[in-house]
Amino acid sequence: MKPIFVRGISNQFRLTLAIMMSVVLLVANERLEPYRQSLASFLSPIQYLANVPGAVLDWSAESLATRNMLAKQNKDLLRQQLLMSERLQRFEHLRQENDRLRALLGSPLHMDSRKVVAEVMEVASDPFHHYVVVNHGAGSGVFVGQPVVDAQGIVGQVVQVNELTARVLLISDESHGIPVRITRNDVRLVAKGIGRIDEIELQYVAKSTDIEAGDLIVSSGLGKRFPEGYPVARITDVTREDGQSYAKVRAKPLAALDRVRYLLLIWPDIDATKNREDDAANAASINGHEGSQTSSDSNEAPKSTSEASNEVTPTKPEQESQS
Amino acid sequence: MSIHVANGRLVVWFTIFVGLLFQIMPLPELVEHARPDWLLLVMIYWAMALPHRYNILTAWLLGVMLDVLLGATLGIRALAMSLVIYVVVLHFQRLRNFPMWQQSLLVACLVGMYHLVVFWVEFVAIEAEFSLSIILPSLSSLIIWPWAFWFLRRIRRHYKVR
Repeated sequence: MKPIFVRGISNQFRLTLAIMMSVVLLVANERLEPYRQSLASFLSPIQYLANVPGAVLDWSAESLATRNMLAKQNKDLLRQQLLMSERLQRFEHLRQENDRLRALLGSPLHMDSRKVVAEVMEVASDPFHHYVVVNHGAGSGVFVGQPVVDAQGIVGQVVQVNELTARVLLISDESHGIPVRITRNDVRLVAKGIGRIDEIELQYVAKSTDIEAGDLIVSSGLGKRFPEGYPVARITDVTREDGQSYAKVRAKPLAALDRVRYLLLIWPDIDATKNREDDAANAASINGHEGSQTSSDSNEAPKSTSEASNEVTPTKPEQESQS
Repeated sequence: MSIHVANGRLVVWFTIFVGLLFQIMPLPELVEHARPDWLLLVMIYWAMALPHRYNILTAWLLGVMLDVLLGATLGIRALAMSLVIYVVVLHFQRLRNFPMWQQSLLVACLVGMYHLVVFWVEFVAIEAEFSLSIILPSLSSLIIWPWAFWFLRRIRRHYKVR
Protein backbone atom coordinates (compact mmCIF):
# COMPACT_ATOMS: atom_id res chain seq x y z
CA MET A 1 0.00 0.00 0.00
CA LYS A 2 1.80 3.09 -1.21
CA PRO A 3 -0.60 5.85 -2.04
CA ILE A 4 0.80 8.44 -4.41
CA PHE A 5 -1.72 11.00 -3.27
CA VAL A 6 -1.97 11.43 0.44
CA ARG A 7 -5.54 10.83 1.47
CA GLY A 8 -7.39 12.02 4.53
CA ILE A 9 -6.87 15.50 5.90
CA SER A 10 -4.51 17.64 3.87
CA ASN A 11 -1.01 18.56 4.94
CA GLN A 12 -1.86 22.24 5.00
CA PHE A 13 -4.60 21.54 7.49
CA ARG A 14 -2.27 19.44 9.62
CA LEU A 15 0.35 22.17 9.57
CA THR A 16 -2.17 24.84 10.52
CA LEU A 17 -3.37 22.65 13.35
CA ALA A 18 0.19 22.03 14.57
CA ILE A 19 1.10 25.72 14.43
CA MET A 20 -2.06 26.70 16.25
CA MET A 21 -1.47 24.13 18.97
CA SER A 22 2.16 25.27 19.32
CA VAL A 23 1.11 28.89 19.69
CA VAL A 24 -1.47 27.91 22.30
CA LEU A 25 1.26 26.05 24.21
CA LEU A 26 3.64 29.00 23.94
CA VAL A 27 1.08 31.50 25.14
CA ALA A 28 -0.45 29.37 27.92
CA ASN A 29 2.94 28.12 29.08
CA GLU A 30 2.58 29.26 32.68
CA ARG A 31 -0.83 27.70 33.17
CA LEU A 32 0.25 24.37 31.74
CA GLU A 33 2.81 23.81 34.48
CA PRO A 34 0.86 20.96 36.19
CA TYR A 35 0.45 19.14 32.87
CA ARG A 36 4.09 19.64 32.09
CA GLN A 37 4.93 18.20 35.48
CA SER A 38 2.95 15.03 34.92
CA LEU A 39 4.29 14.68 31.38
CA ALA A 40 7.82 15.15 32.70
CA SER A 41 7.19 12.50 35.36
CA PHE A 42 6.04 10.20 32.60
CA LEU A 43 9.16 10.92 30.52
CA SER A 44 11.73 10.95 33.33
CA PRO A 45 12.66 7.27 32.82
CA ILE A 46 14.18 8.44 29.52
CA GLN A 47 16.35 10.84 31.46
CA TYR A 48 17.45 8.09 33.78
CA LEU A 49 18.24 5.90 30.77
CA ALA A 50 20.18 8.69 29.05
CA ASN A 51 22.16 9.17 32.24
CA VAL A 52 23.35 5.54 32.18
CA PRO A 53 26.45 5.96 29.94
CA GLY A 54 27.80 8.77 32.10
CA ALA A 55 27.10 6.80 35.24
CA VAL A 56 28.86 3.75 33.78
CA LEU A 57 31.89 5.88 32.91
CA ASP A 58 31.95 7.24 36.45
CA TRP A 59 31.63 3.80 37.90
CA SER A 60 34.41 2.39 35.73
CA ALA A 61 36.67 5.31 36.60
CA GLU A 62 36.04 4.55 40.26
CA SER A 63 36.55 0.82 40.00
CA LEU A 64 39.65 1.16 37.82
CA ALA A 65 41.37 3.52 40.24
CA THR A 66 44.71 2.16 41.35
CA ARG A 67 45.55 1.37 44.92
CA ASN A 68 48.07 4.20 45.07
CA MET A 69 45.53 6.71 43.88
CA LEU A 70 43.05 5.57 46.49
CA ALA A 71 45.66 5.66 49.22
CA LYS A 72 46.67 9.17 48.24
CA GLN A 73 43.07 10.32 48.08
CA ASN A 74 42.40 8.72 51.43
CA LYS A 75 45.35 10.54 52.97
CA ASP A 76 44.21 13.85 51.55
CA LEU A 77 40.70 13.35 52.81
CA LEU A 78 41.89 12.41 56.28
CA ARG A 79 44.01 15.54 56.45
CA GLN A 80 41.12 17.62 55.22
CA GLN A 81 38.82 16.05 57.74
CA LEU A 82 41.23 16.83 60.56
CA LEU A 83 41.37 20.47 59.51
CA MET A 84 37.62 20.61 59.15
CA SER A 85 36.90 19.06 62.52
CA GLU A 86 39.28 21.52 64.16
CA ARG A 87 37.33 24.35 62.56
CA LEU A 88 34.11 22.68 63.57
CA GLN A 89 35.16 22.66 67.21
CA ARG A 90 35.67 26.40 67.15
CA PHE A 91 32.47 26.80 65.15
CA GLU A 92 30.49 24.89 67.76
CA HIS A 93 31.80 27.20 70.44
CA LEU A 94 30.94 30.26 68.36
CA ARG A 95 27.49 28.92 67.61
CA GLN A 96 26.69 28.50 71.27
CA GLU A 97 27.98 31.96 71.98
CA ASN A 98 25.91 33.35 69.12
CA ASP A 99 22.80 31.57 70.36
CA ARG A 100 23.30 33.01 73.84
CA LEU A 101 23.77 36.51 72.47
CA ARG A 102 20.72 36.15 70.26
CA ALA A 103 18.72 34.93 73.25
CA LEU A 104 19.86 38.03 75.11
CA LEU A 105 18.75 40.22 72.22
CA GLY A 106 15.44 38.42 72.01
CA SER A 107 16.12 37.46 68.39
CA PRO A 108 15.01 34.09 67.04
CA LEU A 109 17.72 31.44 66.93
CA HIS A 110 19.12 30.19 63.66
CA MET A 111 17.58 26.80 63.05
CA ASP A 112 19.30 23.93 61.39
CA SER A 113 17.54 23.17 58.16
CA ARG A 114 16.96 19.83 56.49
CA LYS A 115 19.41 19.05 53.71
CA VAL A 116 19.61 16.30 51.11
CA VAL A 117 22.54 15.51 48.85
CA ALA A 118 21.45 15.27 45.23
CA GLU A 119 23.40 14.12 42.22
CA VAL A 120 23.42 16.01 38.94
CA MET A 121 22.15 13.85 36.11
CA GLU A 122 24.08 14.19 32.91
CA VAL A 123 21.34 14.98 30.47
CA ALA A 124 21.17 17.73 27.90
CA SER A 125 19.05 20.79 28.60
CA ASP A 126 17.73 23.74 26.67
CA PRO A 127 20.90 25.39 25.27
CA PHE A 128 19.44 28.86 25.83
CA HIS A 129 19.23 28.35 29.60
CA HIS A 130 21.59 27.28 32.34
CA TYR A 131 19.90 24.26 33.83
CA VAL A 132 20.98 21.10 35.56
CA VAL A 133 18.76 18.12 36.31
CA VAL A 134 19.08 16.45 39.72
CA ASN A 135 18.00 12.97 40.72
CA HIS A 136 15.50 14.01 43.39
CA GLY A 137 11.96 15.09 42.69
CA ALA A 138 8.61 15.69 44.30
CA GLY A 139 8.87 12.17 45.70
CA SER A 140 11.64 13.40 48.03
CA GLY A 141 9.78 16.59 48.88
CA VAL A 142 11.60 18.89 46.46
CA PHE A 143 9.58 22.03 45.70
CA VAL A 144 9.73 24.85 43.18
CA GLY A 145 11.83 27.74 44.47
CA GLN A 146 13.97 25.56 46.69
CA PRO A 147 17.51 26.88 47.22
CA VAL A 148 20.38 24.70 46.02
CA VAL A 149 23.99 25.02 47.19
CA ASP A 150 27.22 23.11 46.74
CA ALA A 151 30.36 22.91 48.88
CA GLN A 152 31.50 26.40 47.85
CA GLY A 153 28.36 28.45 47.61
CA ILE A 154 24.92 28.98 46.15
CA VAL A 155 24.26 27.17 42.90
CA GLY A 156 20.71 28.19 42.06
CA GLN A 157 17.10 27.29 42.69
CA VAL A 158 14.67 24.60 41.66
CA VAL A 159 12.34 25.74 38.86
CA GLN A 160 10.62 22.56 37.72
CA VAL A 161 9.77 19.48 39.71
CA ASN A 162 8.43 16.13 38.67
CA GLU A 163 8.07 12.87 40.51
CA LEU A 164 11.65 11.60 40.07
CA THR A 165 13.77 14.53 38.97
CA ALA A 166 13.94 18.28 39.34
CA ARG A 167 15.45 21.04 37.23
CA VAL A 168 17.71 23.62 38.84
CA LEU A 169 18.18 27.08 37.37
CA LEU A 170 21.77 28.22 37.92
CA ILE A 171 22.56 31.70 39.21
CA SER A 172 24.44 32.39 35.97
CA ASP A 173 21.27 32.14 33.87
CA GLU A 174 20.08 35.35 32.28
CA SER A 175 16.71 35.12 34.01
CA HIS A 176 18.14 34.59 37.49
CA GLY A 177 18.68 37.27 40.09
CA ILE A 178 19.65 36.91 43.73
CA PRO A 179 19.68 39.50 46.53
CA VAL A 180 23.14 39.70 48.07
CA ARG A 181 25.22 41.77 50.41
CA ILE A 182 28.91 42.47 50.67
CA THR A 183 30.37 40.87 53.78
CA ARG A 184 32.88 43.68 54.31
CA ASN A 185 30.36 46.49 54.74
CA ASP A 186 26.84 45.00 54.43
CA VAL A 187 25.97 46.95 51.27
CA ARG A 188 22.91 45.32 49.70
CA LEU A 189 22.85 44.55 45.97
CA VAL A 190 21.23 42.30 43.40
CA ALA A 191 23.39 39.82 41.50
CA LYS A 192 22.06 38.80 38.10
CA GLY A 193 23.21 36.13 35.69
CA ILE A 194 24.33 37.23 32.23
CA GLY A 195 24.25 33.87 30.48
CA ARG A 196 27.93 33.16 31.02
CA ILE A 197 28.71 30.21 33.26
CA ASP A 198 31.65 31.83 35.10
CA GLU A 199 30.41 35.36 35.52
CA ILE A 200 27.53 37.24 37.11
CA GLU A 201 26.78 40.94 37.21
CA LEU A 202 25.83 43.24 40.07
CA GLN A 203 23.12 45.61 38.99
CA TYR A 204 22.42 49.23 39.85
CA VAL A 205 25.57 49.85 41.82
CA ALA A 206 25.97 53.56 42.45
CA LYS A 207 29.41 54.80 41.49
CA SER A 208 30.04 56.01 45.02
CA THR A 209 29.38 52.55 46.50
CA ASP A 210 32.25 51.17 48.52
CA ILE A 211 32.95 48.06 46.49
CA GLU A 212 36.20 46.68 45.17
CA ALA A 213 37.61 43.62 43.49
CA GLY A 214 38.07 40.74 45.91
CA ASP A 215 34.99 41.49 48.02
CA LEU A 216 32.96 38.46 49.01
CA ILE A 217 29.22 38.65 48.45
CA VAL A 218 26.79 36.42 50.34
CA SER A 219 23.05 35.93 50.06
CA SER A 220 21.16 38.55 52.04
CA GLY A 221 17.98 36.55 52.51
CA LEU A 222 15.87 39.53 51.49
CA GLY A 223 14.17 37.77 48.61
CA LYS A 224 12.71 35.24 51.08
CA ARG A 225 13.92 32.49 48.81
CA PHE A 226 17.57 31.92 49.63
CA PRO A 227 18.56 31.58 53.28
CA GLU A 228 20.83 34.30 54.56
CA GLY A 229 24.59 34.09 54.67
CA TYR A 230 25.54 31.59 51.98
CA PRO A 231 28.50 32.72 49.85
CA VAL A 232 27.55 33.60 46.27
CA ALA A 233 30.48 35.12 44.43
CA ARG A 234 33.65 37.15 44.63
CA ILE A 235 33.92 40.52 42.90
CA THR A 236 36.41 40.37 40.06
CA ASP A 237 36.14 43.70 38.36
CA VAL A 238 34.69 47.14 39.08
CA THR A 239 34.64 49.79 36.34
CA ARG A 240 33.33 53.28 36.94
CA GLU A 241 32.94 55.05 33.61
CA ASP A 242 32.05 58.72 33.52
CA GLY A 243 29.37 58.33 30.87
CA GLN A 244 27.49 55.61 32.70
CA SER A 245 25.07 56.21 35.55
CA TYR A 246 26.02 53.02 37.37
CA ALA A 247 29.28 51.26 38.01
CA LYS A 248 29.79 48.05 36.08
CA VAL A 249 30.56 45.27 38.53
CA ARG A 250 31.37 41.70 37.56
CA ALA A 251 31.76 38.78 39.93
CA LYS A 252 32.77 35.16 39.70
CA PRO A 253 30.42 32.62 41.31
CA LEU A 254 32.12 30.61 44.03
CA ALA A 255 30.26 27.41 43.19
CA ALA A 256 31.86 25.58 40.28
CA LEU A 257 28.76 25.92 38.10
CA ASP A 258 30.28 24.31 35.02
CA ARG A 259 31.24 21.09 36.75
CA VAL A 260 28.77 20.62 39.57
CA ARG A 261 28.40 16.97 40.47
CA TYR A 262 26.84 16.81 43.91
CA LEU A 263 24.46 19.42 45.24
CA LEU A 264 22.72 20.13 48.52
CA LEU A 265 19.01 20.74 48.45
CA ILE A 266 17.99 22.87 51.43
CA TRP A 267 14.63 22.96 53.17
CA PRO A 268 14.76 26.20 55.09
CA ASP A 269 12.55 25.82 58.17
CA ILE A 270 9.55 27.94 57.24
CA ASP A 271 9.08 29.72 60.58
CA ALA A 272 12.73 30.14 61.26
CA THR A 273 13.43 31.63 57.88
CA LYS A 274 10.49 33.94 58.08
CA ASN A 275 11.63 35.37 61.38
CA ARG A 276 15.19 35.46 60.25
CA GLU A 277 14.36 37.32 57.09
CA ASP A 278 12.16 39.80 58.92
CA ASP A 279 15.09 40.24 61.21
CA ALA A 280 17.38 40.78 58.26
CA ALA A 281 14.92 43.20 56.72
CA ASN A 282 14.79 45.15 59.97
CA ALA A 283 18.53 45.19 60.21
CA ALA A 284 18.71 46.32 56.61
CA SER A 285 16.22 49.13 57.13
CA ILE A 286 18.13 50.25 60.21
CA ASN A 287 21.28 50.26 58.12
CA GLY A 288 19.51 52.22 55.44
CA HIS A 289 18.34 54.89 57.87
CA GLU A 290 21.45 55.23 59.91
CA GLY A 291 23.80 55.05 56.96
CA SER A 292 26.39 52.77 58.45
CA GLN A 293 26.64 49.57 60.38
CA THR A 294 28.49 51.00 63.34
CA SER A 295 25.82 53.55 64.19
CA SER A 296 23.08 50.93 64.10
CA ASP A 297 25.21 48.76 66.34
CA SER A 298 25.56 51.57 68.82
CA ASN A 299 21.81 52.08 68.62
CA GLU A 300 21.10 48.49 69.35
CA ALA A 301 23.61 48.14 72.10
CA PRO A 302 21.72 50.08 74.80
CA LYS A 303 18.49 48.34 73.86
CA SER A 304 20.04 44.95 74.44
CA THR A 305 21.47 45.92 77.80
CA SER A 306 18.11 47.27 78.90
CA GLU A 307 16.43 44.03 77.83
CA ALA A 308 19.08 42.05 79.61
CA SER A 309 18.60 44.09 82.74
CA ASN A 310 14.85 43.53 82.45
CA GLU A 311 15.47 39.86 82.68
CA VAL A 312 17.57 40.14 85.76
CA THR A 313 15.12 42.38 87.62
CA PRO A 314 15.87 41.13 91.13
CA THR A 315 19.40 42.49 91.06
CA LYS A 316 18.44 45.74 89.42
CA PRO A 317 16.96 47.59 92.42
CA GLU A 318 19.91 46.59 94.51
CA GLN A 319 22.28 48.01 91.92
CA GLU A 320 20.24 51.18 91.78
CA SER A 321 20.12 51.49 95.50
CA GLN A 322 23.80 50.92 95.65
CA SER A 323 24.45 53.65 93.16
CA MET B 1 -1.45 -7.87 7.80
CA SER B 2 -2.65 -6.37 11.02
CA ILE B 3 0.23 -8.04 12.88
CA HIS B 4 2.63 -6.55 10.36
CA VAL B 5 1.26 -3.09 10.86
CA ALA B 6 1.43 -3.40 14.61
CA ASN B 7 4.95 -4.76 14.37
CA GLY B 8 5.98 -1.95 12.08
CA ARG B 9 4.57 0.63 14.42
CA LEU B 10 6.56 -0.81 17.28
CA VAL B 11 9.77 -0.68 15.23
CA VAL B 12 9.20 2.92 14.19
CA TRP B 13 8.46 4.06 17.72
CA PHE B 14 11.48 2.20 18.99
CA THR B 15 13.78 4.07 16.58
CA ILE B 16 12.10 7.32 17.61
CA PHE B 17 12.66 6.44 21.26
CA VAL B 18 16.36 5.78 20.57
CA GLY B 19 16.55 9.10 18.73
CA LEU B 20 15.06 10.84 21.74
CA LEU B 21 17.56 9.10 23.99
CA PHE B 22 20.52 10.17 21.84
CA GLN B 23 19.13 13.68 21.75
CA ILE B 24 19.41 14.15 25.51
CA MET B 25 22.41 11.92 26.13
CA PRO B 26 25.35 13.70 27.78
CA LEU B 27 28.16 14.74 25.43
CA PRO B 28 31.59 16.16 26.21
CA GLU B 29 31.54 19.94 26.54
CA LEU B 30 33.64 20.25 23.38
CA VAL B 31 31.09 18.71 21.02
CA GLU B 32 27.99 19.63 22.99
CA HIS B 33 27.15 22.51 20.66
CA ALA B 34 27.53 20.33 17.58
CA ARG B 35 25.15 17.64 18.75
CA PRO B 36 23.39 16.20 15.68
CA ASP B 37 19.61 16.39 15.96
CA TRP B 38 19.00 12.68 16.19
CA LEU B 39 15.31 12.91 16.84
CA LEU B 40 14.76 15.25 13.89
CA LEU B 41 16.83 13.01 11.60
CA VAL B 42 14.81 9.94 12.58
CA MET B 43 11.60 11.85 12.11
CA ILE B 44 12.70 13.17 8.70
CA TYR B 45 13.48 9.64 7.62
CA TRP B 46 10.10 8.26 8.59
CA ALA B 47 8.27 11.23 7.13
CA MET B 48 10.13 10.63 3.90
CA ALA B 49 9.57 6.89 3.84
CA LEU B 50 6.00 6.75 5.14
CA PRO B 51 4.54 10.25 4.78
CA HIS B 52 0.98 8.96 5.05
CA ARG B 53 1.61 7.51 8.50
CA TYR B 54 4.23 9.67 10.19
CA ASN B 55 3.86 13.29 9.42
CA ILE B 56 3.31 16.73 10.85
CA LEU B 57 1.25 15.82 13.89
CA THR B 58 3.67 13.05 14.90
CA ALA B 59 6.46 15.61 14.66
CA TRP B 60 4.47 18.02 16.77
CA LEU B 61 4.01 15.41 19.49
CA LEU B 62 7.73 14.59 19.48
CA GLY B 63 8.55 18.28 19.65
CA VAL B 64 6.42 18.67 22.76
CA MET B 65 8.13 15.67 24.33
CA LEU B 66 11.54 17.14 23.55
CA ASP B 67 10.53 20.49 25.02
CA VAL B 68 9.48 18.80 28.23
CA LEU B 69 12.69 16.78 28.42
CA LEU B 70 14.87 19.83 27.80
CA GLY B 71 12.91 22.04 30.16
CA ALA B 72 12.35 24.63 27.44
CA THR B 73 9.27 26.76 26.91
CA LEU B 74 6.58 24.35 25.71
CA GLY B 75 5.79 24.48 22.03
CA ILE B 76 9.09 25.81 20.67
CA ARG B 77 10.45 22.60 19.25
CA ALA B 78 6.94 21.39 18.47
CA LEU B 79 6.53 24.37 16.16
CA ALA B 80 9.97 24.02 14.59
CA MET B 81 9.62 20.29 14.03
CA SER B 82 6.19 20.46 12.44
CA LEU B 83 7.40 23.18 10.07
CA VAL B 84 10.40 21.12 8.98
CA ILE B 85 8.38 17.94 8.58
CA TYR B 86 5.80 19.87 6.55
CA VAL B 87 8.52 20.67 4.02
CA VAL B 88 9.64 17.03 4.01
CA VAL B 89 6.12 15.69 3.53
CA LEU B 90 5.46 18.17 0.75
CA HIS B 91 8.51 17.02 -1.23
CA PHE B 92 8.93 13.46 -0.06
CA GLN B 93 9.06 11.95 -3.55
CA ARG B 94 11.66 14.41 -4.77
CA LEU B 95 13.70 13.88 -1.60
CA ARG B 96 13.60 10.11 -2.01
CA ASN B 97 14.97 10.28 -5.53
CA PHE B 98 17.78 12.70 -4.88
CA PRO B 99 21.31 11.32 -4.88
CA MET B 100 22.71 10.92 -1.38
CA TRP B 101 24.94 14.02 -1.35
CA GLN B 102 22.08 16.22 -2.47
CA GLN B 103 19.75 14.68 0.07
CA SER B 104 22.29 15.23 2.85
CA LEU B 105 22.70 18.87 1.89
CA LEU B 106 18.95 19.37 1.96
CA VAL B 107 18.66 17.67 5.33
CA ALA B 108 21.39 19.95 6.63
CA CYS B 109 19.39 22.92 5.39
CA LEU B 110 16.28 21.57 7.11
CA VAL B 111 18.18 21.14 10.38
CA GLY B 112 19.45 24.70 9.99
CA MET B 113 15.89 25.88 9.48
CA TYR B 114 14.80 23.99 12.59
CA HIS B 115 17.45 25.72 14.67
CA LEU B 116 16.61 29.10 13.21
CA VAL B 117 12.96 28.69 14.17
CA VAL B 118 13.95 27.56 17.68
CA PHE B 119 16.29 30.52 18.04
CA TRP B 120 13.70 32.92 16.71
CA VAL B 121 11.03 31.84 19.22
CA GLU B 122 13.56 31.82 22.07
CA PHE B 123 14.59 35.30 21.03
CA VAL B 124 11.01 36.51 21.23
CA ALA B 125 10.47 34.70 24.55
CA ILE B 126 13.69 35.41 26.48
CA GLU B 127 15.84 37.59 24.19
CA ALA B 128 18.40 34.88 23.62
CA GLU B 129 21.70 36.00 22.15
CA PHE B 130 22.47 34.93 18.60
CA SER B 131 25.65 32.99 18.10
CA LEU B 132 26.89 31.38 14.93
CA SER B 133 27.24 28.08 16.74
CA ILE B 134 23.66 27.20 15.78
CA ILE B 135 25.13 26.25 12.39
CA LEU B 136 27.19 23.46 13.95
CA PRO B 137 24.29 20.99 14.43
CA SER B 138 23.41 21.16 10.74
CA LEU B 139 27.04 20.42 9.82
CA SER B 140 27.16 17.40 12.12
CA SER B 141 23.76 16.28 10.86
CA LEU B 142 25.14 16.54 7.33
CA ILE B 143 27.80 14.01 8.27
CA ILE B 144 25.45 11.76 10.24
CA TRP B 145 22.56 11.70 7.76
CA PRO B 146 23.90 9.15 5.20
CA TRP B 147 24.65 6.71 8.02
CA ALA B 148 21.34 7.29 9.75
CA PHE B 149 19.54 6.90 6.42
CA TRP B 150 21.34 3.68 5.60
CA PHE B 151 20.72 2.27 9.06
CA LEU B 152 17.06 3.21 9.20
CA ARG B 153 16.45 1.86 5.70
CA ARG B 154 17.99 -1.45 6.74
CA ILE B 155 15.69 -1.55 9.73
CA ARG B 156 12.69 -0.66 7.60
CA ARG B 157 13.46 -3.35 5.02
CA HIS B 158 14.31 -5.96 7.59
CA TYR B 159 11.07 -5.53 9.48
CA LYS B 160 9.12 -4.81 6.29
CA VAL B 161 7.64 -1.63 7.67
CA ARG B 162 5.33 -0.17 5.04
